[in-house]
Amino acid sequence: MYAIMKYITACLIFSAVCHTHAQENDTVKVKVLKEVTIKGSPSKNLENDISLPISVADKLFLQENFKGNLMQALEHKAGVQSMDIGAGFAKPVIRGMGFNRVAVVETGIKQEGQQWGVDHGLEIDAFKVGQVTVLKGPSSLLFGSDAMGGVLDIIPEPAPLENQCYGDVTFFGKSVNETVAGSIMLGVKHNAWHIRMRLSEQHYGDLRIPADTVTYLTQRLPIHKRRLKNTAGMERSMSLISNYNKGRYSANVTLDNNFQKAGFFAGAHGIPDASSISDDMDSRNISLPLSSVNHLKIATEHRIALNNISLKWNGGLQYNRRKEMSLFHTHYGNQTAPTDNPDLELDFSLITLNSSLKAEWRTNEKWKHTTGHDLQYQSNKIAGYSFLLPEFKRITTGILYTVSFKYDDNITLNGGIRADYGNIKASEYLDSHLEEYLNDHKYAQEVINAYKWRSYPVNRDFMDFSGSLGLIWQAAENHLIKVNTGRSFRLPSANELASNGVHHGAFRHEQGDPSLVSENGWQTDIAYYLEHDAITLSVSPFFSWFDNYIYLKPTGEWSILPHAGQVYRYCNTDAVFAGSETELGVEFLRKVTYRVSGEYVYAHNKSERTPMSFSPPAVMRNRIIYRLGNISLNIELQSIATQYRVSKNEDITKGSNLIHIGANVNAKQFYIALSVYNLLDTKYYNHLSFYRKTEIPEPGRNIQILVKIPFKSRL
Amino acid sequence: MKKYIFKCLCLSALVAIAICGCTEDSDTEKPVINMIEPAEGDILKIGSDNGVHFEVEFTDNESLKSYRVNIHDNFDNHTHSILRAETVDFEYENSWEISGKNALVHHHEIKIPEDATPGNYHLTVYCSDAEGNESHVVINVVLSHDADDDDHDEDSDHDHCL
Repeated sequence: MYAIMKYITACLIFSAVCHTHAQENDTVKVKVLKEVTIKGSPSKNLENDISLPISVADKLFLQENFKGNLMQALEHKAGVQSMDIGAGFAKPVIRGMGFNRVAVVETGIKQEGQQWGVDHGLEIDAFKVGQVTVLKGPSSLLFGSDAMGGVLDIIPEPAPLENQCYGDVTFFGKSVNETVAGSIMLGVKHNAWHIRMRLSEQHYGDLRIPADTVTYLTQRLPIHKRRLKNTAGMERSMSLISNYNKGRYSANVTLDNNFQKAGFFAGAHGIPDASSISDDMDSRNISLPLSSVNHLKIATEHRIALNNISLKWNGGLQYNRRKEMSLFHTHYGNQTAPTDNPDLELDFSLITLNSSLKAEWRTNEKWKHTTGHDLQYQSNKIAGYSFLLPEFKRITTGILYTVSFKYDDNITLNGGIRADYGNIKASEYLDSHLEEYLNDHKYAQEVINAYKWRSYPVNRDFMDFSGSLGLIWQAAENHLIKVNTGRSFRLPSANELASNGVHHGAFRHEQGDPSLVSENGWQTDIAYYLEHDAITLSVSPFFSWFDNYIYLKPTGEWSILPHAGQVYRYCNTDAVFAGSETELGVEFLRKVTYRVSGEYVYAHNKSERTPMSFSPPAVMRNRIIYRLGNISLNIELQSIATQYRVSKNEDITKGSNLIHIGANVNAKQFYIALSVYNLLDTKYYNHLSFYRKTEIPEPGRNIQILVKIPFKSRL
Repeated sequence: MKKYIFKCLCLSALVAIAICGCTEDSDTEKPVINMIEPAEGDILKIGSDNGVHFEVEFTDNESLKSYRVNIHDNFDNHTHSILRAETVDFEYENSWEISGKNALVHHHEIKIPEDATPGNYHLTVYCSDAEGNESHVVINVVLSHDADDDDHDEDSDHDHCL
């Protein structure tokens, strides 16, 4: 802890130094040109020197695919999938990797929530996102542990160039769960200063599904009025960003708070019976069981450009509080409800501190070097009558060096190396009620000793390295090829190391293994881009090999815990991930665009000799867009293949064809988009959905409207 | 350009070969549980000496391994908040080994003691195969003093062998 304090103090002194430096510049009146982007590459997807395949979702794309939730819009990008928990919450999956294997980065800080959990959603206000850059492939080199599968880099809208007062008002409505949402933004730009604030709120009712009954555990459950009881929810966000930009110095401070509260369908939270899912005559109430999450993030960035070196420091503080409430229940007769907050099932509070320092310099026209240091500290506290994630403290730190060499105008080579150290301390937790229960049931002492710990004591150190080597080659005027090979890693998470008990959402006994080693893998990506007159084409195959990939192995041993089935243990295995994304766009007569995209992921578990669980199915999208002035009409056919590649205890998910239509007007004074998703009200399943195992189909027909009115006045 | 496309194709072929090298011969098919007795909504007699008539057929595509029976109360939808003085909430937990592709299990080993609390219960049957594929079935049963002692009246002449 002392070391962290020292580091933070040093960083603060550094930022103070930066401030004084900036003031000096002010008086000397040094004119430094703004950052200039040279658009030499054929597509905006290539405006960078990263050799990994990237995909950019810009403001227009996010607006056209807006669904009230960031992940559900990004799902329209090939290679990105959304893992949904009803209509409100969703988490990212990139090329079949999700949970802790994808990093979400905003203003240089990695977002930290409870991403290890199946019922966790990303806590980001969809209204405020300006642009998302999706890095597909191993990114540990740049972002450390957890960025193994890829990165979603969220970039806020840039500040306007001229002095002005500006803002927008947005309204959003959705029929499938009667969402009513709104967002208001106000910003002021005055010389070196810029400040912008946004408030957003969403309220939604119970989700409509195209089914009258669902079958779960051979029990047929009626769905009253085709609405999933207690799936209503709300989201409230506040964000503030302030920038200062003068001379060679620029800085920003951002403050974000996102609050989400939503009910869980009783059928997905315990053995459902007719009474718990009977109609409560209110489609907008949030009753038990429910989850409420608050995410607070304060981040700051300071950049300074010296004569031949530029420095950047990012600092962040995050506080993530996740609570799940459910009517007190126990499977051990001796346990009585706690006196205060008896229905608090679990309560996690996670504090994360980040610091990242980067220095960039050029030795000449051809060579560019970057070196940096990252530090992250996490502390997780727990409360509630039933939880699985242990209390833990985690510290990770890494140093990196990357270099880019521009051989000539057409060939750039880059590479880098990074070393990381991590320490995880998980506290033990003895479940005394369980111990007493097992004693009462006359289990042998060694059995009791094996089961009574809900978390094991763990104190582990990890050392890892990552590296990459890449090539960006403009093979001909319209052809671009990127090749990248990299090694990436991920530290085992606290639940993988220490937990031992029934996961109330997944309904199985999950057991950690304190001796797990870090996950690491080698991945090779190739990306080919073609832009020729009216044709754009991109093909990006990938292949990765993982040693020690961590998965939950069904052991075949019955757990003695009630409601558990067999014990699932976290194990390391060798694994193969491979696949490709292809996108083709053809423009006819300058008005009609036809786009087709396809994605496929092959994921194989070597030790089980089965596919990996949560392998995304192959998806193809055919879209026709007709543009006339500022009016645009589109129709899309989304074809989802049947996922036969399932792991043990996972069900095959049938494919389907969905039709979506949309129209939008993008005028100067307003933006209106009207869309209909799942036009034919098709009953289908999402292989990655949290509700999949309860046989609950995906939302039915959804008609939605988005109206955005921007305004500005000169100062 | 053609040369490079050819190289790319060769590389993809290599990847394809590598993938084909990953044999996926492991069984992912779950065993099937066919509950015969007790059935959904059945009333089970408290204190019966004969025990519960338990008859289930298990089938698997490859090899069955084990089954497990759990009975626990569902008095007020799992809130478990009622405290009773004279009776004990019934709880049952046991597992048995089975093998082969098909097993018809029939026994009367589950005994409900005289002091068991009457009411609604959940009876869960789990079954696993040799590869760790698992399935389970939950049925609602009622424990009562006023049930037929022996529910074998329809087929009283069957043998009690497996």
